Amino acid sequence: MELRRTQLYKYHKEHGRLIEFAGFEMPVWFEGIIPEHNAVRNAVGIFDTSHMGRMRAEGLDAERFLNYMVTNDISALEPGRGLYTVMCNERGGIVDDLIIYKLTPDHFFVVYNASNREKDFNWFKRHSDGFDVELKDVSDEIAMIAVQGPKALRTLEKISSSPLSDVERFQIVELELSGVEAMAARTGYTGEDGFEVFIFDATPERPEKALKVWDSLLEAGEEFGIKPCGLGARDSLRLEAGLCLYGNDIDEDINPLEARLRWVVKFKKPSDFIGREALLRIREEGVKRFRVGIKMEERGIPRKGYEIWDGEGEEKIGVVTSGGYSPTLNVGIAMGYVPREYRKLGTPVRINIRGRLARGKIVKFHPFYDETKYGWRRVEG
Amino acid sequence: MSEEYEVPEGLYYTEEHEWLKVLDDGNALMGITDYAQKQLHEIVYVELPEVGRDVERMDTIGTVESVKAVSDVYSPISGTIVEVNEALLDSPELLNEDPYGDGWIAKMKPKNLDADLKELMTAEEYKKHIEALQH
Repeated sequence: MELRRTQLYKYHKEHGRLIEFAGFEMPVWFEGIIPEHNAVRNAVGIFDTSHMGRMRAEGLDAERFLNYMVTNDISALEPGRGLYTVMCNERGGIVDDLIIYKLTPDHFFVVYNASNREKDFNWFKRHSDGFDVELKDVSDEIAMIAVQGPKALRTLEKISSSPLSDVERFQIVELELSGVEAMAARTGYTGEDGFEVFIFDATPERPEKALKVWDSLLEAGEEFGIKPCGLGARDSLRLEAGLCLYGNDIDEDINPLEARLRWVVKFKKPSDFIGREALLRIREEGVKRFRVGIKMEERGIPRKGYEIWDGEGEEKIGVVTSGGYSPTLNVGIAMGYVPREYRKLGTPVRINIRGRLARGKIVKFHPFYDETKYGWRRVEG
Repeated sequence: MSEEYEVPEGLYYTEEHEWLKVLDDGNALMGITDYAQKQLHEIVYVELPEVGRDVERMDTIGTVESVKAVSDVYSPISGTIVEVNEALLDSPELLNEDPYGDGWIAKMKPKNLDADLKELMTAEEYKKHIEALQH
């Protein structure tokens, strides 16, 4: 199968180690996962996220339609604000996690996972009958770059037509970046402060505007030690931040209550939504397993699919859904699902690492790192 | 982005990217090749075999892990593990920095060296092997 390429492929081909991801030919790293990871935690890095799905939903019923599709409450949004949410199937399983921005009262901008581009758009389309809403897949005409790290603001401001320090988390603004029309939202997938920028009129066939913004960012961030980053660092950063990766930590057989995403399920919002009944029933019956974070207490790196055992090593209690080496903590960390009685912080567990039951324990995982030292909540001078 | 790989003359190689160096005292050193370490990239974790363990040719004797991937290490020959490079436990990056030197993995006492060497590749053959893998 022919792999798809993003607007920034020319740069990746020249500078990066390429792999296949979600049908795209993407850079896994440029210099290396660890230096790129550290650049984002300590300064700034940029990621090509143009492989992700982007959709416009316009019309008088756009808000009512989206509120029916997702679990969070869109009606509470002011124009120029976005929110994180999931959408569920009728069984309460997660179809995808996504961010929805309200640009104007009848115009929404929706960003979802690369691996679900076709699935999500079709899922939206399939449910839109009877709503006055027009859905348009704009993934291929708008490029997307994530600028992440404590120096992301200062980097982006250098090429921005307007100041950005007053832009709040999940706020989205229109602006020009190096003279190119774009939007910037104060969001990301790394745990750090930063922006995701959307570059208009940039297709894989006409990538000039996307390449111009990418190159200007690299130049603007040079004084801070900016690095272009690949999917490897994107994965290790989001794991340290305790953020879900669709297909690993959440999927159609996992509901948001066990995924610890209860905060995006608004049972009391004014309208019904797909999966509401199933989720109410699950809540009623009691959630049986929970997503947890695990930190290794002895040598070894937990990986996706490894078994989680109880602390005595007597029985298997769950499976790792994401795991790896944490460059920030210099230790193996993981997320996975365990029964309710094992979810308490400090509970000892074991990970079956190729036949060896290595010791670990349940820890705070959203994020794994110390929030006074890393992440967007810290105060950066 | 294209990569060049170092393949020293005089060593023996497996298809799985281990090298073997026969020492003057009859023992042999083994490790992973430059190609292997470049494919794995940033190595962050190593599991070493136990000293004294008897192994057959191509037994799994250890594990090397990068941020992204896990890779088994195979024994190029049959014999006994007589020494392991414990420096790798604290500094796995030695495998990236000096795969044929400070990044050696184990010293072995061979059992059927002459027969086993016939199964291994020379530097010339190994170069062709990794060239073929890149197409």
